[in-house]
Amino acid sequence: MGKRPMHSLPQRSFALPLAVAVLALSVGARGGDVPDRWWAPGEGRVLPAILDYDNENGTLRTLTVGGPLNTAGHPFFEPLVKDGRACVTCHQPADAMSLSAASARRQWDRTGGKDPLFAAYDGSNCPTLPQDQRASHSLLLDRGLIRIQRPWPTKSFNGKPVKPDFTIEVVRDPNGCNSGPNYGPKAGKISVYRRPRPVANMKYLLAVGFPFDPKQGYALPLDPDDGKPQSGNLMADNRAGNLRLQMEDAATTHLQMLKALSEDERKQLQDFELRVFTAMQMTKAGGAVDSGGAKAGPARLRDSEPGALGSIGEPVWSEFKGWENIPAEDAAKLTPQQLAFRQSVARGARVFREKMFLISDTAGINSRIGFGNPVRNSCVFCHNMSQMGNDVAPGQVDLGTTTLPFADPWDDLPLFKVTCTGRPHPHYGKVIYTYDPGFALTSGKCADVGKITLQSMRGLSARAPYFSNGLARDLRGVVDYYERRYSIGYTEQEKQDLVNLMSAL
Amino acid sequence: MKSLAVLAALVAATTAQAAQDTAGLVRFVACPVYRDTDAGRKSGCWLTDDRATGKRWDVTESPYKPDWNFAVLVEGKPSAHAAQPCGAPALDPVRTSRLDIPCTRHMIPAEGFPGRRYTLPRRNIGPLSVARAVPPGPYAERTFPVYFEFDKDFLVYQYDDWLIDNAVTWIRAARPRKLVVTGYAATQAQMVSGVKLAERPDAARERAETIAETMRRLVPDIPVETKWKTAAKPTDEPEADGLPWQSQRRAEIRAVF
Repeated sequence: MGKRPMHSLPQRSFALPLAVAVLALSVGARGGDVPDRWWAPGEGRVLPAILDYDNENGTLRTLTVGGPLNTAGHPFFEPLVKDGRACVTCHQPADAMSLSAASARRQWDRTGGKDPLFAAYDGSNCPTLPQDQRASHSLLLDRGLIRIQRPWPTKSFNGKPVKPDFTIEVVRDPNGCNSGPNYGPKAGKISVYRRPRPVANMKYLLAVGFPFDPKQGYALPLDPDDGKPQSGNLMADNRAGNLRLQMEDAATTHLQMLKALSEDERKQLQDFELRVFTAMQMTKAGGAVDSGGAKAGPARLRDSEPGALGSIGEPVWSEFKGWENIPAEDAAKLTPQQLAFRQSVARGARVFREKMFLISDTAGINSRIGFGNPVRNSCVFCHNMSQMGNDVAPGQVDLGTTTLPFADPWDDLPLFKVTCTGRPHPHYGKVIYTYDPGFALTSGKCADVGKITLQSMRGLSARAPYFSNGLARDLRGVVDYYERRYSIGYTEQEKQDLVNLMSAL
Repeated sequence: MKSLAVLAALVAATTAQAAQDTAGLVRFVACPVYRDTDAGRKSGCWLTDDRATGKRWDVTESPYKPDWNFAVLVEGKPSAHAAQPCGAPALDPVRTSRLDIPCTRHMIPAEGFPGRRYTLPRRNIGPLSVARAVPPGPYAERTFPVYFEFDKDFLVYQYDDWLIDNAVTWIRAARPRKLVVTGYAATQAQMVSGVKLAERPDAARERAETIAETMRRLVPDIPVETKWKTAAKPTDEPEADGLPWQSQRRAEIRAVF
């Protein structure tokens, strides 16, 4: 990874002068000829309109509409606090505007753990631990997890207090951030550990397809700023319904800002976040994802209308339909490896849409919405938005990734005992053991324990590990988890096809 | 004038009788059986056995489908269609309501039955990007019912959302002065399959508040009041599909000018 320089030339010829100009602007930003793939806060680099980074599966491309963007003084890229943190610290262009565990490890090694990424307040397992030791940052270094501190009792989306219909106890606290005088439910704080979500392709995450949230049984909540329905797809636990609330939450928690973001800073951040699109552009094995009849890549994301339901419009991942039946004359121009990979990606898209399996005991799918338990469907049942694969409805679903007995065993995560004080959870019953109650920490509802908002599916190759708690180390791990959870019966070929598909998104 | 009053009384009596007429309908409590047919997405079959008659019914067409871990209250009418794609005669219209009675989960194979290929139900709403047809005036006080599972206040997907979407389209055009949402609960106990069933009185309030909150989100500039009533009586509203028990479990959105 990382052998290709940041400003490797894009495929389109018009971008050449721009890339050269940007390269010139950025030379020496960190004392070398080629800027490092890590964007440190306050460097003052120029973010090109088209920016490519290699990863193990190919090349990720990030487009900045209206770019290039001079990042000097920009609140996304400048440290807003003394410790040197900025938004870009955890939302790296090379990592699809998220943060890979590999990048975190690389930055630890480069800086001896001094990078502001490893700030005690959320870049370590707990601030009470000795901060100069690698073990104190193991969750970030091994699984890319940032500590998220939520209030207890719960506050609903948009910050309104809500009386929870459950109690919570700490069964196990391996890191010390859920017990003692200053941490844990008794101190009014619950620490969970989650992957940073990508700050890109935002128009899809903000898109609203229908006026109702069928998983919660209400019309969609309204944005407190503009009065329009909220998508509910921004954050893992849906605690912030619009970009202003999200960035204010991030500023006070991940940047520890004591003063509020200024209106100008908010506008700049929002404007930037709505202009960034990222996805894989090139696959190592199969070439460009917008060639040979395929129509994927970040430009397609940039140019498409968000919020369309794949089942009544353009099927999810049909961008790769052109690779299903490659004409002989085109196939002859490809290497056997390229041809096989393209065919595999196209098969993977079909498996994603068409391989049916029984989904059972999954809140958000099998309850309370009335699809039945079990219900037969495929991956696109939830990953249903054209071009993006997130949920057109608010995507809070409990796959079991954070909750026993479905979650994998983790001895380094806190374990909570949730006891429902009203109706029992529809699948777990009255008592639930979980590493992360997820959406329940926002809604206050026992029925929502373990629900996590669906992840973005773009740029996956750039930002392992996967799921909110990083339980899948690689893309195969994602497929394997689903196989374990739902006994789908994927063939080995289907598993590889799905991995190849996801590597190309 | 007198004859008009007699006629009105006659119509009212006939309507009330029709609303409570359960002849030809079935109602029972059972543990659901899932038949694992595979005709594509959402194609599995739900079967339930009426212990009193020994008959097995296909209840798959219920808008709210069973959970194999819990008993369901089944209410329906034998279908006019003879086809048995799930291996049992179908109830249609039919409702199933999840009860808090644990069941041993039971799944049976397709055994050659095809199940039903999924088709969008009649009651489905279009995306927000599709403009709703504006209902013509003149507009006057009108009431829109919304229906629920037994003892629940949860909006039923592809049923209640459609009812509310239609109501909101009319309300946005009509611009009433306020909305009064009244929740009802069928609190009078009845024995069904040996199980004493009565909705909680709180279900009426919960239904009113749930619908009121949804209306506040959909038409935020129109004030919403809530009321609730227990001992709900059946109605003849067509969207209850001729199932009197379903019509009892409702909330009504009344547009007041």
